[in-house]
Amino acid sequence: MLNEERIRLMTKMASYEAGEGKEYMPIRQFYRKDYVSYEMIKTFITSTISFGILFLCWIVYKMDEITDIFKGRDLPELGVSILIKYAVFVCAYQVIAYAVYTRRYKKATASIRKYYTALKKVEKLQEKEERLQPLEEWK
Amino acid sequence: MTGLLEMREKLRTFYGKYELYVAVGLKFILGLAVFSIINSNIGYMERLNQPAAVLLLSLLCAFFPVNAMIVLACGLILLHLSAVSLEACAIGLCLFLLLLFMYGKFAPKNGCSTILTAVLCFFQIPQVMPVAVGMLRGPSAYFSVLCGTVTYYYLRGVRDNLVNFTSTEETEGLAKFTAALKIFTGNKEMYLMLAAFLVTSLTVYLIRRQAISHAWRVAMVVGNVLELIILLLGYILLDLTDKILWTSVGILISMGVCLVLEFFLYNLDYSRVERVQFEDDEYYYFVKAVPKVFVAKKEKKVKRITPKKRTTVGRRELAEELDIDQDWLD
Repeated sequence: MLNEERIRLMTKMASYEAGEGKEYMPIRQFYRKDYVSYEMIKTFITSTISFGILFLCWIVYKMDEITDIFKGRDLPELGVSILIKYAVFVCAYQVIAYAVYTRRYKKATASIRKYYTALKKVEKLQEKEERLQPLEEWK
Repeated sequence: MTGLLEMREKLRTFYGKYELYVAVGLKFILGLAVFSIINSNIGYMERLNQPAAVLLLSLLCAFFPVNAMIVLACGLILLHLSAVSLEACAIGLCLFLLLLFMYGKFAPKNGCSTILTAVLCFFQIPQVMPVAVGMLRGPSAYFSVLCGTVTYYYLRGVRDNLVNFTSTEETEGLAKFTAALKIFTGNKEMYLMLAAFLVTSLTVYLIRRQAISHAWRVAMVVGNVLELIILLLGYILLDLTDKILWTSVGILISMGVCLVLEFFLYNLDYSRVERVQFEDDEYYYFVKAVPKVFVAKKEKKVKRITPKKRTTVGRRELAEELDIDQDWLD
């Protein structure tokens, strides 16, 4: 016999899996530390590429004055100043990434908790049905 | 007012019932607008500057998430730019990569506002977006409006300075790169727009979150007025007074759009405010509850008052039903 409550719960769960869960379920496969670190590494790579693009654009834009820039300043000093800018840029993005992905993980945890509660209820209902089944067969 | 509220309920029900089709239809229309605008403004590659291409791309976008539209639009832009000059295309690619890595990666759900901002920029009314986004979304979404604005100014810059990119001399390569980069560095109007949009969105956000009566209405009015003031002052300082008329029109439209948004999403009845106080072990609560305006949809019931048709049964049918001879019924 159909159990209406179990069907209702399973429909809700299926709708969660297709919607919000699609985003949050893969996140919950990781521990918080692992997830945030993984995303921070990805952010490090993307921020390095971004800085590279910006630096390249700056060089192209200042190409006419580039000889004056190199001539007027000590090269190691120029290199250090660029490295400092790069470090500040990457650090800023690391902080943003940490904040964004920690918040996302918390959100995912809160969202998926409801899903697991529903899952437990379904399991209990199923167990109950299985226990009752032999009795019905006897009748 | 009651009529409007009933209409709102009907619209909600309609959307709930046909959500899938409405979403596909809206994405198709948005796709048509986006790809037509790209082709009409920078349609330099003749093979792609065809209505069939626009239709095909829009159809594709209708069945995919909005971010797919962004990818396709960026691809189309880069192909058109490559037909003019590879330098403009390279800088365009750099711009899109920067927007993706520096913003899109952290907030991938805001693609819709980026696209809408760019489209509205081409219609000269981008003023709608910062207030609308400020009312509906959190601070992370405000940068999507800025992304759309930057993209628009780059495309407009290439279109307006086409001569700088069409030179055929090989030694002009560096000059073309510099011309493409100058679209960003020398465009004070763009910086004015970016500053105005960011300040407006943040102001709207801060006001609408306050626990004051008519928070959304206040935020909307303050946001639009602030945006108007910043833009007008900026245009006067930059000596771009010809833009003032369109800016004013944009603000008026923005006000209208915000009123519609408020009606659909934040329609509260302040005449029935309830204030309650209670306490638990740790806190004392002072709660102000404002009910939403809600009108139940009228359900039409059709009651038939005509009498039931008399069913006449012929002799033959009756005899067949009773399984007797017809003559017996005489």
